[in-house]
Amino acid sequence: MSDPVTTVPHSIADYYQGIEQENRLRGYRSACGFVTATWGLVCPQCGRRDLAEVDLSGRGKVVGFTIQNVPSDRFVNDAPYAYVVVELDEGGRVTGWMPSARAEGSVSIGDRVRRVATGRPGVAFERELGPPTSG
Amino acid sequence: MRTHPWATEASVRETWVVGAATNRFGKMPETAREAASRVALEAIDASGLSPSDIDYTFVANCFGIAEHQAHLGPLINTALGIPDVPSCGVESACSSSSAGLHEAFVHVAGGFSDAVLVVGAEKLSHLDTLSATSYFAIGADYPFETRNGATFPGLYATLASAHKKRFGTTSEATGAVAVKNHWNAARNPHAHFQKELGLATYLASPVIASPFRLFDCCPFSDGASALVIAARETVRSTPNEPLIVRASARSGSIADMHDRPSLTGLPASRLAADKAFRQAKIERSQVDFLEVHDCFTIAELFALEDMGFFPAGDAAAAELDGSTAHDGKLPVNPSGGLKAKGHPVSATGAAQVVEVFEQFNHRAGGRQVPRVETALTHNVGATGGSCSVHIFGHR
Ligand SMILES: [Zn+2]
Repeated sequence: MSDPVTTVPHSIADYYQGIEQENRLRGYRSACGFVTATWGLVCPQCGRRDLAEVDLSGRGKVVGFTIQNVPSDRFVNDAPYAYVVVELDEGGRVTGWMPSARAEGSVSIGDRVRRVATGRPGVAFERELGPPTSG
Repeated sequence: MRTHPWATEASVRETWVVGAATNRFGKMPETAREAASRVALEAIDASGLSPSDIDYTFVANCFGIAEHQAHLGPLINTALGIPDVPSCGVESACSSSSAGLHEAFVHVAGGFSDAVLVVGAEKLSHLDTLSATSYFAIGADYPFETRNGATFPGLYATLASAHKKRFGTTSEATGAVAVKNHWNAARNPHAHFQKELGLATYLASPVIASPFRLFDCCPFSDGASALVIAARETVRSTPNEPLIVRASARSGSIADMHDRPSLTGLPASRLAADKAFRQAKIERSQVDFLEVHDCFTIAELFALEDMGFFPAGDAAAAELDGSTAHDGKLPVNPSGGLKAKGHPVSATGAAQVVEVFEQFNHRAGGRQVPRVETALTHNVGATGGSCSVHIFGHR
């Protein structure tokens, strides 16, 4: 009786509401294993439409980063800060900024991070407590 | 999606670049509209055609909104005295004018037009750095990159961090790209930067977005460049050595770099290059020189590795041993590249072809490369959501 194909209900507005008001990072998972927060209708990896809406853990490790000394207009009072690509524990990658990573050496590839609510726009991360795990 | 080298090979007409012109990149006193019209007329004059021979105009001007101006095509065509000629804008971020060249090629090779004008122009110098940085970032994914703090240098710097971690890419290697491209630009009268750069100065420049120092980054430039494309069978005589378009290929890839399987290169470059080499039916080893998209120094390494000129991680050694110098085994960016010639976003792709035109006509002076039978241009949109690769042959 239920339709086996469930389309992702979330919109970009829902994504914003999730991170800014509900402390959730909303995304989707495709049956091929592709996971992302990036809005879409059809999986860019396999072409499936039956994308499952998921709340992403916001926990994972840094796979790429920069510490930006010259920000864009929205972050003009925040520089320096890190911009990071995070590989989530459940698979998939998301981006965010790290308000506390202000200096060279304050973040490295392989560092474990978790999402943190800042009351500011965008997805924010902080380093998890404890020693960083390797790569 | 079609994967054939040419969709309908039998009906493709041989297509030439018969005219090419650019202005001096840097800070333009005039508007993009004026500069675009001026270089367009120069390119038409270089082709031996007259404006009335133009059948279509493709215009690239991503940031026209910064000048409160869209719909540039009719303004340019009117200024050229050909108001009835159709035109349209082509937007593909930093690869806009190479996308325009591809569209022009499709028109001419497909028999829909005999001669087509491609013009790209940009003016951002009247904006402050913060506004210009914000304009540059609009080619990224606003909700999922920019709003999370990314700037355009920041996105490429993030890719660079992954490349450095994986392959041990050093500052000396990226510095070698900057030093070489400044050396070339110092011999290019159209370049934004006309000064050589020493490695010590590079290393001492301030960090913009780690690992990028100031001299890893292309400048914000104004500029305009134009090309005239024509079907060989319609060209009676032409005063300059034309470029035969051996391949005109484009590719996309997953728009957001973080959603791709790897951060150590740009998959669209590989896809577009593979397509181009299938079209041209030549090997990488037959390419004499390249103009590649070095918006940041690391991007020149990406280009050489992604397009298959070197295995991943090996381009750094070629930069360090001088192989990519204008007189090296494989000259890369003899114009000075985006890095030092400058990067007026929508003019860049056409400007790369202007450099090939000047090289093929042996007018490149101190940066002239020794062999000019086959050249490749590579132009990336934003962080690789788009990529154009063109291969040009000598008559
Ligand atoms: Zn999938």
